[in-house]
Amino acid sequence: MENSTPSNGFTRRGFLGFAGLAASIPLLASCAPNASGTVDSDTVLKFWDMPWGAPEYSDTAARIVTDYSKSGMPSWSYQTIQWNNFYQTFSSAIASNTGPAVSGGGGFQAFQFAELGKIAYADNLVETMKSSGSYDDFLPGTIDSMKTADGYVAMPWALDLRVFWYKQSLLEKAGADVPTDWDSLVTTGKALRKIGASGFGIAGGSGYNHAPQAIITLMLNNNGGLFDKDGNLDCVTERNIEAIEFTKQLVAENIIDPGMISYSMDNLVSQWGDDKVGFGIHEPGLALQLGDTTGDVSVASPLTGPHGDTGTLMFVNNIMMYTETPSQEASESFLEYYLDNMITLWEDDAVSRIPVRQSIVDLPIFQGNTHFVKIVKEYQPIAKSYAYPASAGFAGLAAVDGGMQLWQFAQTVLEGKTDAKKSLEDLSSELAKVL
Amino acid sequence: MTSTSTLPKPVKAKTSDPQSRGQWWRFSGFVVFTFVILIPIFATVALALRPEQSSGEEGTATIANFVYVLSETLTLKWLGNSILVALGSVVIAVAVSAPAGYVLSRGRSKLVSGYALALFVIQALPIIVLVVPLFMLFAPLRLIDNLVGIMIIYVGSTMSVTTWMMAAYFDTIPITLEEAAWIDGCSLFGGFVRVILRNSLPGVLSAAIFAFLQAWNDYLIAIVFLRSDPTLTLQVGLQTFFQQNSTEWGPVMAISVIMILPPVIIFATLNRYFSVGGIGGSLAGR
Amino acid sequence: MTPTLTTARPARGRVGLAGRGAATPPPARSRISANAVILLLMALPSLLVILLINVYPLIYAANQSVRMGSLIDAGPFVGADNFAEVLTAESFWQAAGFTVIFSVVGVFGSWVVGFAIALMLRTRIPGANTFKVLLLMPWVIPVVSSAMAWNWLIATPSSPLPMMFESLGLGRPLFLADPVLAMITVCLFKVWVSFPFMMLMMSSALAGVDTNVYEAGKMDGAGRWQQLTQLTLPMIARPIYISWILMAIFCVNDFTTVYLLTGGGPVGSTNTLLVLAYRTVFQDMRTGPGVAIAFLMTFVLVVISVVLYRQIRKSSLQ
Repeated sequence: MENSTPSNGFTRRGFLGFAGLAASIPLLASCAPNASGTVDSDTVLKFWDMPWGAPEYSDTAARIVTDYSKSGMPSWSYQTIQWNNFYQTFSSAIASNTGPAVSGGGGFQAFQFAELGKIAYADNLVETMKSSGSYDDFLPGTIDSMKTADGYVAMPWALDLRVFWYKQSLLEKAGADVPTDWDSLVTTGKALRKIGASGFGIAGGSGYNHAPQAIITLMLNNNGGLFDKDGNLDCVTERNIEAIEFTKQLVAENIIDPGMISYSMDNLVSQWGDDKVGFGIHEPGLALQLGDTTGDVSVASPLTGPHGDTGTLMFVNNIMMYTETPSQEASESFLEYYLDNMITLWEDDAVSRIPVRQSIVDLPIFQGNTHFVKIVKEYQPIAKSYAYPASAGFAGLAAVDGGMQLWQFAQTVLEGKTDAKKSLEDLSSELAKVL
Repeated sequence: MTSTSTLPKPVKAKTSDPQSRGQWWRFSGFVVFTFVILIPIFATVALALRPEQSSGEEGTATIANFVYVLSETLTLKWLGNSILVALGSVVIAVAVSAPAGYVLSRGRSKLVSGYALALFVIQALPIIVLVVPLFMLFAPLRLIDNLVGIMIIYVGSTMSVTTWMMAAYFDTIPITLEEAAWIDGCSLFGGFVRVILRNSLPGVLSAAIFAFLQAWNDYLIAIVFLRSDPTLTLQVGLQTFFQQNSTEWGPVMAISVIMILPPVIIFATLNRYFSVGGIGGSLAGR
Repeated sequence: MTPTLTTARPARGRVGLAGRGAATPPPARSRISANAVILLLMALPSLLVILLINVYPLIYAANQSVRMGSLIDAGPFVGADNFAEVLTAESFWQAAGFTVIFSVVGVFGSWVVGFAIALMLRTRIPGANTFKVLLLMPWVIPVVSSAMAWNWLIATPSSPLPMMFESLGLGRPLFLADPVLAMITVCLFKVWVSFPFMMLMMSSALAGVDTNVYEAGKMDGAGRWQQLTQLTLPMIARPIYISWILMAIFCVNDFTTVYLLTGGGPVGSTNTLLVLAYRTVFQDMRTGPGVAIAFLMTFVLVVISVVLYRQIRKSSLQ
């Protein structure tokens, strides 16, 4: 055993000192000064965006952002925020004054934050764009979908719709036709089942919104909907019950594969690829996700409901401005620039979403994508949001979109053991808790 | 190839010795059992080495997926973040729990027993009850989306067990050794450093390995507290990459393999230092 | 100077100032108690961590559970409403039920497997240490990885395991889609992840067993099974109980294995209280009820852990 002092001079004081230093680092970090008051070309404002596509999307969008330069205006930085708990990310950032000045986000996020007084309404920007002519370039109804009684909460930049897809080769193998209405869907589904494939691809796993969105699409297809014209919850309607019973029929006939109640999105897409799904509802990017360039996987025309209606679900992806900005003028100038220049995303093939501007739709590269062209032509006119038949969006929709109620409801329907009316009643009471 | 350190000293093997007669049966049983248990891991590695279906190469193992994820995605950054956080947590956790373990081991009083009880209760708390208030505490301190923030939480969540492990190991060092140091003029703390710490490499390593594992493998705290792409650890990064590139199993599994390697390497090389028996012993002895 | 303690067992009777025998001779004891301040300072960092990371959040959570707020502000006081709502919700009891099943199967399943392996590793097998390291892997690798691998193996009709079952003519098991089968799958997954920990704990407990008793037992004519039940088990009873308690706490507090494998579905059959609490807070954005669930869990766990802790300590003093 040694008697000499340790050569590293390690002492109690040194030890405590280290611990104290380690503890003070986070406190120091919080002392950084906030950007406030004056704004000049040295300030850098923040634009937060969601990962709307493959890495190319974020790279191209970041490039558009950093290319922005206007004399006297601050420059902007681009950051990608993950979908996981994104609402908490934004709300905690805004609450602690560390949030962005402009951001993308969830479909109804702007409505939520507007109710909390955190959104800078875009009315002024809309006026500017009317005089510059950009306003007319937007597809009908897209900007208006952002309107509330107090103003425009955000500006649209892309559309996300639910459309019917089919796999040609699989249908041929089954000797079935592309469905055109609900009855023919059942016929095709039965034929597909005979060759071991599903006639209605759906991802019902916990936490995934694909299944409930597909079911709501059917409800909208039948001119049903979750709300009434005034925005009150109204789930238990004749049309909705018909749609649920139709879904249950698909489940009972195994047209919806029994395993689908646990599918993640990945499981579902891989089943499309493995020739186990011949028809289903999906977002516009299915062919791209499957890497199918042969046109085998194609968009079907919207189905006609039993009463002759058409309709589908859509989400308007939008960009919002926050009151928490050093300069509203800078925010508006930047947003106008971004909306005018986001055409690059489609020109560079960096995004596979439906645009909201006619000029982008007219791009040769877009016109070359038969799926997208068909979607714009046949689905966009009949597309409705969760709020349908209420015309304006509202904050509560975010809770609907993000909460557990929808996919729990879908799982109940897919399980097939609950009566249609009861499952809608349960959905209604659960949604009432969060609205 | 094998170390028999965990086996009782064998008597000279005779063919009639029941132990050696059965050993090849047991060996084959173990081979089969281990193989089955490890199937998910084999699957992960196999998928990572499989060439992309679109690339046209068939049947040959390729590291193309690894090259891709390391050069074209944020995997390297995520790997760096995970290593930083894990090592940081380990250092701080060991620094905090070593002296605490000493108190637990040598201290004698109701306070110390109370402290021991507190440690036990704390590690029983469900993390979700801590996460929400911590989130609200950290937000104004800019510790959200901050690797330091999660490091602090990891230290908090592993501290109980690492303290026990240290205490258990210190228990095995006779106090007479410290007494000799005191007689020579050492202070209490000096005795701690010179006698205890010097002789506690296995205990410290054990605690360090455990803390590393907890920090490296954590998922819930990382998904709540980390936001922007460059700040993510591998765990969250892998999940987000997976969600965006849902059919690209090759690159996804490649990241998975990269994530598996550090704990596996650490355990493969240092497992003889790792002892969890200490937890049991130290719980019982207090 | 002769070493006094040679075994790996910790000295007994640590409670109270009356230490026992050779473990704490008077000079050392008084030296230690005279330096109470230094001991306090040494424990201080960990006390600070406890206060910051555990005590403060617990108090704040208690506050949140009686309010209806969000993640950024605590919200208005609602008294026991959150608890009433939670305790009358079917989802809560469903999750509570599966949490119990999951923990029980997780604890005993992993213990049986881990103990069996630990016993076998004591016998002569070539490469025993290599096996030990290899069998640690399920516990060592991140659950994110293993959940992904398991999902790939069982989720869809094109996955390897269902295809294997079909080719054997056993039909297609819906591992993740059928509520009962999903429960079994999740429990199996948990056992797979946890048995290495049990194996380690049992190995080190068995290593402390004095093998001489077996010689005596053999001479008395005890067979292998009797040796196990009459000799081995009683000798390591305490480490066994401790491993059960620890593993039970780990199981109840396990978020990742359930969340990543099934997300709590289908139709909530594999939901545990922790996943339910998480989803209530972060998906439904209803902090009040979510924290209320977490608090109920905490309460139960704290009570159980204090009771069991006292049990262990009492039995160790005997």
